[in-house]
Amino acid sequence: MTKSVIEIARSPHEGSFTRLRPLVAEDSELTLRWRLSKRAMHLNRGSTSVEQQRAWIQGRPATELNFVIETKDKMAVGMLSLIDIDFTHRRAEAARFLLGDEISTRGLPVAVEAMKLLYQVAFDQLGLARVYGTVIEDNPRMLKWQKYLGMQVEGRLRQHIMINDRLQDVIVVGLLEAEFREIALPRMAGLISLAGIPPHGIEEPE
Amino acid sequence: MTIRPEQAKEIIRDAIANLNEELPEVERVDVKPSTVLFGMGAEIDSLSLVSLVVDIETALSDKFNLDIALADEEATARPVLPFSTVQALEEYILERANESR
Repeated sequence: MTKSVIEIARSPHEGSFTRLRPLVAEDSELTLRWRLSKRAMHLNRGSTSVEQQRAWIQGRPATELNFVIETKDKMAVGMLSLIDIDFTHRRAEAARFLLGDEISTRGLPVAVEAMKLLYQVAFDQLGLARVYGTVIEDNPRMLKWQKYLGMQVEGRLRQHIMINDRLQDVIVVGLLEAEFREIALPRMAGLISLAGIPPHGIEEPE
Repeated sequence: MTIRPEQAKEIIRDAIANLNEELPEVERVDVKPSTVLFGMGAEIDSLSLVSLVVDIETALSDKFNLDIALADEEATARPVLPFSTVQALEEYILERANESR
């Protein structure tokens, strides 16, 4: 049963402005370019060649859902993952969130809707009780974002990760199912509405 | 206490200054009344939108003891959305602040 649930979750997910589709090997060149860009300065260093990136994508374990974030006209603009999915403890980590094409996402609630779709996968489709994540101390905009969208700060891992040539503290954040429904969903709906009418009109997400 | 237009302008200016400190140089936002913040032709993405919402709501609460949500149903039901331009945002803050008195 668990396997079929996760296979269903691996399919595309549609929002009003945004869609998530599975990350595939053909995304190697594009996603490598994003990962090597300045915008990825707050993420772990990963692959340094297309071949490495392809191998990394092909080697993702079954406990991960890796998505490419697209606009509604299917332009790939970023990536987002749910990793370490654990059905015993009903938890997973939201990770690898990166908008690689910043210009194409200006004025659009792409980031917030992508996160909403991911949380819906986690809580509604997979039946998880908790989604957590980490934010490095050098990234206050991301911490502000996570907190506004309902994530609670749960702790600080001191000098936990080497990013940008120095050991940085990492802030641990977490979202429980009730917080998703009571805090995150209304705030996400408000932010999405601030963009106005979607370019392809209003449609019901699947 | 009421909020004057110059105080609303200052809150917005400070929030955008904070945002610009968080952004790479090429993504920084210029502050003019006509600057489109969010929606078609906008300057910022939704991560930056949240940064502005949080900083402005916090400033309204800390400096003026006002609890105003900038992205609630009331905000999004308006014909002119609050983050459509800097000018619209200022007008929205003034309207909500003064109606809550």
